[in-house]
Amino acid sequence: MGRAPAAGDKALGEYLSSECVTCHQLSGANVGIPPIVGWPDDSFIEIMNEYRYRKRNNSIMQTIAGRFSNDEIAALAAYFGSVKGR
Amino acid sequence: MNSTTRRYFIGGAGAAAAVIAFPMPAFAQAKPKVIVIGGGPGGSTVAKYVAKDGGIDVTLVEPLRQFTTCFHSNLYLGGFRSFQSLTHSYDKLVKNYGIKHARAMASAIDRDKKTVRLANGTTVPYDRLVVAPGIDIKFDSVPGYSEAVSNKLPHAWKPGPQTQLLVRQLNALKDGSLIVMIAPPNPYRCPPGPYERVSMMAHVLKAKGHKKSKIVVLDPKPNFSKQGLFVEGWEKHYPGMVEWQDPKMHGGINSVDAKTMTVKTDLAEYKAALINVIPAQMAGKIARDVGLANQTGFCAINPENMKSSVDGNIYILGDASIAGDMPKSAFSANSQAKVAAMMIRGELANGKIFPARYTNTCWSLIETDDTVKVGGRYEAKDGKITAVETFISKTGESADLRKQTQGENMGWYSGIIADIFT
Repeated sequence: MGRAPAAGDKALGEYLSSECVTCHQLSGANVGIPPIVGWPDDSFIEIMNEYRYRKRNNSIMQTIAGRFSNDEIAALAAYFGSVKGR
Repeated sequence: MNSTTRRYFIGGAGAAAAVIAFPMPAFAQAKPKVIVIGGGPGGSTVAKYVAKDGGIDVTLVEPLRQFTTCFHSNLYLGGFRSFQSLTHSYDKLVKNYGIKHARAMASAIDRDKKTVRLANGTTVPYDRLVVAPGIDIKFDSVPGYSEAVSNKLPHAWKPGPQTQLLVRQLNALKDGSLIVMIAPPNPYRCPPGPYERVSMMAHVLKAKGHKKSKIVVLDPKPNFSKQGLFVEGWEKHYPGMVEWQDPKMHGGINSVDAKTMTVKTDLAEYKAALINVIPAQMAGKIARDVGLANQTGFCAINPENMKSSVDGNIYILGDASIAGDMPKSAFSANSQAKVAAMMIRGELANGKIFPARYTNTCWSLIETDDTVKVGGRYEAKDGKITAVETFISKTGESADLRKQTQGENMGWYSGIIADIFT
């Protein structure tokens, strides 16, 4: 598996993540909305791309993912990957 | 610095002497000061996000000890949540991020001297001020209505005792009762809120087995948020119970009379068992008092950073602001707060600044497991906050999807509360 060749910018990821944590809890709590912390980068990127290209259904996630660039998604993956849930 | 301070106070003479012997380079250079007025979703979020990386002294000016959310108060009305589950303490903001909680109303702002005066008489200086006072109700926008009358005819558009009063009144209704809701004109807090409330009222009446009770909605607007979805839901779940009237149908809302429990329109007179008046709204008083609001009663902002259009040292968040395409919602306020926090840290703590991006989603529960949503992403464009992409639930969606959307709704509440208050 390994990490993505160009690792994402964690600082950018942390800023962008503020948008995600309104719903997805940093603690990793799973209450109606899936946790997104501590994932391997490549899984995170793959799922975001599936929303981005509308292969996965959820209008909110399609809208959110659709406006992120590759770098931004990589940055988010790096940031959330580094967060350890409680 | 916390530990140093603590040592100074509790460590006895030796520790105190140490502080005196090393004359306080850390204290001599005072940290920049941010004051936040209002501890709702906008104010509490900005306080946390400015404070969490340190280096800035943050004071949250909020008289309440704990906050009851207006969002999801309709679910309390419908019996889907307890009142207690809507109430959240500020303690973790104080404990986890060192935010000072000044439990007082802000009574005045001196924009030249950059100070806020509190109702308890103290004056606090700021480098940047965030004004997030939410809304005030325009009681005189409906003839016959007043703050005193609201103790009998609740607006329930601010959380707390008003919501509890409405719940008591709704639960006391007998079959054959008429409820009249006077809906608010734009712009107001929570655009789908009145119609979700109608749905929750209908849910309670239906669950109690009412066959003859009715809800009449008198609306000053020709249309409303998620209209197609609500109307579809009302017809499906509560056939014949809800009657919505636009201005062409009622001709104008003329007056309410609390003594006789009547509402007069141009074309009819209604004698009701419960009257819910949701009047027009404006930015909280403090914003209007110090010239931050314009003739609309709300506060113009710079869409790139949420700064007040009239004062570069002041940020305005949430319902009090004129946020372009963004609705007045807790989600919006929380999103705006993160933009403002980034900008404030950029100005005062050399934080990195990125272009502003905003998001919002509003969920509405129509009947058990039947929830719809509307939302979008927004950017600064054409001089305002402009929607760059939006979405809305569709009529005729499957029951499974609607149930899943309700799961999201509950998950969001839990998530935003964790984001704001922990």
